[in-house]
Amino acid sequence: MYYCSFMALRSVNLPGVGTKYEFTTDKGDTVAIFFTKTGTIQMYTLQRGCHTPSAAEMTPMEARRLGNILTGAIIEAESESVEIAFSALADLRITIHTYLIQKTVAGRTIEDLQIRTKTGVTVIAVSRKDRNIINPPPSFVFETGDAVVVIGETDQLKRFEREVMVD
Amino acid sequence: MEGIVLALFVCLVLAIITKYLSIPPIPFYILGGVLLGKSGLALVTSDEIGRFFSQMGLIFLLFFMGLELKLERIAANRSAVLTSGMIDLNVNMLIGFFAAYLFGFSLIESAVIASAFYISSTAMAITSLVENRKLMMREAETVIWLMVFEDLVLIIFLAVISAGDQNPFIFFLKIAGVLAILYAIAHYGKEFLISLLDRSDELPLLFTFAAVLTTASFSMYIGVPETMMVIALGAALATTDPDAFEQHARPFKDVFLVVFFVFFGITINLTGGVDLVMIFTISLLAVVSKFISGVLTGIFIHESALAGIEIWGNTIGRGEFSIAIAALYGSPPVAAVIAAMVIVTSIAGAFTAKYCTGLRKWMVMPGRRPPHHAHTGR
Repeated sequence: MYYCSFMALRSVNLPGVGTKYEFTTDKGDTVAIFFTKTGTIQMYTLQRGCHTPSAAEMTPMEARRLGNILTGAIIEAESESVEIAFSALADLRITIHTYLIQKTVAGRTIEDLQIRTKTGVTVIAVSRKDRNIINPPPSFVFETGDAVVVIGETDQLKRFEREVMVD
Repeated sequence: MEGIVLALFVCLVLAIITKYLSIPPIPFYILGGVLLGKSGLALVTSDEIGRFFSQMGLIFLLFFMGLELKLERIAANRSAVLTSGMIDLNVNMLIGFFAAYLFGFSLIESAVIASAFYISSTAMAITSLVENRKLMMREAETVIWLMVFEDLVLIIFLAVISAGDQNPFIFFLKIAGVLAILYAIAHYGKEFLISLLDRSDELPLLFTFAAVLTTASFSMYIGVPETMMVIALGAALATTDPDAFEQHARPFKDVFLVVFFVFFGITINLTGGVDLVMIFTISLLAVVSKFISGVLTGIFIHESALAGIEIWGNTIGRGEFSIAIAALYGSPPVAAVIAAMVIVTSIAGAFTAKYCTGLRKWMVMPGRRPPHHAHTGR
C-alpha cells in the first residue's frame, strides 16, 4: 500500500477480461499484471526500449508464492524454512523453521530441554501424525517422528540445531 | 430425449478435442449439429426439449452480456470507444449489407446478414488475447472496447427489429416500464440480493436461474423482446454483485449455450442446395472487411496501420452473437449463410490471432518504420 505514492500504479477493469494493474519503474521498465476471469494470472514485463513483452501465466497459488518472494518473505532453498522481513520494523527478520524430532530428544519435555533459555527460540507448533498442536505447553513430551515448528532469529535457530537437535 | 443425449455426447467429445488443440469450439459444435441433423445423418431432430434448451442458451448468453455491460465505464472511455466502434460498424455493416443485397437477399434479410457479418465473437476475441498472451499490447484494449461497442449495437438492433410490427410509442413505454422495475429491484433490493448471493447452499443458483427465466417469460407475456430484457436484467443486476452473478449464471450459460450451437446446426437446412460461390464470397468478404476496419482503426487510434493488423487478427472470428441473430431472425437460407460465415471466419480467426503478430513483424523489415511501443500508456 505504501508504494502507490511512489510510482504510478494504474488499474483498469477490462470488461470480459478482468483487472489489469500496470506500472512503470524508475528505470523505465513496465510491469503489467492481469487477473483474468478464468482465474489465472498473467504477468507481462517489458524492458525499456523493447517492443515485445514477455509473459508468464500463473495459477493463484503460484502468484501468491511470487508475491511472497517480492514482499521479502524469502523462501530458502529448503522448503521447510521461511524468513519474514518486516521492513517497517528496523528490518526485523524472523525465521520459521520445521524440524523432525530424533530419538535423542524423544521422551523429553520442552521444559527440561530448556529450549527457550538455552537457545532463544520458541516452539510454536507440533505436528504429530494427523493432528497439530498449536502453542504446546512446557510440559509437552516429544515423540519420535514429531514435526516441530520453531520460530526465532537465524542465530538462535543455529544454536537450537547445535544444542538441542544433536544426534 | 435420446437425440439431445447423443448431441451432448458429440459436443463433449468435440469440446475435449478443441480444448486440447486450443482452437475455438463454436464452429465444431455447429458442424457437429449439421452432421447430426437434417442436412447430415438425420439422427437428431429438433424436439421440444432441444428447443427449450437452445432458448435457455440464448437467454443466458445475453444475460451474461448484460452483466458485463457497465455503462459508467463505457462513458468514461467514450472517445476511444466511439471512434473505433463507429469505424467497425460502418465498414462492416455496409460491406455485409451490399454483399447480401447483391446476391439477391431482400432488404430485411440483408440487414440480418449484415448484422451477423458485423458482430465479432467476444468470446473468441477475449480467449485469443488471453491464450496468445497479448493482453499487454495496446491494441488489446482497443479490441476489448470494440467488443463492448458491438454489444451495444446488438441491443439497439434487437430493439429496432422487434419493434417492427407494434405501435412504437406503446412498445417503448412497455420497455421503459420493465427497465424501471428491474432497476428498482436492483436498487432497493441490493442489500438483500447481496446477502442472498453470499450463501453457500442452492439459493444463489436457484435465484439466478429463476430471475432470468421470470424476466424472459414476463417479457414475452407483455410483448416486449425477451432477448433485450434479459440483457437489461443483467445490466441491472451488475449494479449489485456482478461477479457473484457471473459465477452463478456460468454453469447454465456454459451447458445451454453448447446445446444452442449444436441445435442451430441441426436445424440448418442444406437440402435445397446451397450456392457455394455466394457462401464462399460472403465468408471471404467477412475476413476482408474486418481487415479494412482494423487497419482504419489502427490508423485513427494508434497512428499505425500495422496496429490494425493486430486488431484484425483478433476480431475476424464471428461466433455466438452472429448465430444468435441467425437463430432469432434468419430465414433458412439466411441461417445457412451465417452458419457458413461463422465456421469459416472462426477457424480463420483462430489462425490469424496466433500468427498476426508474426505477420506484423515480418512486415516491419529493417528500414521500414519501426513498430510502436507496446505498452498502453494510459
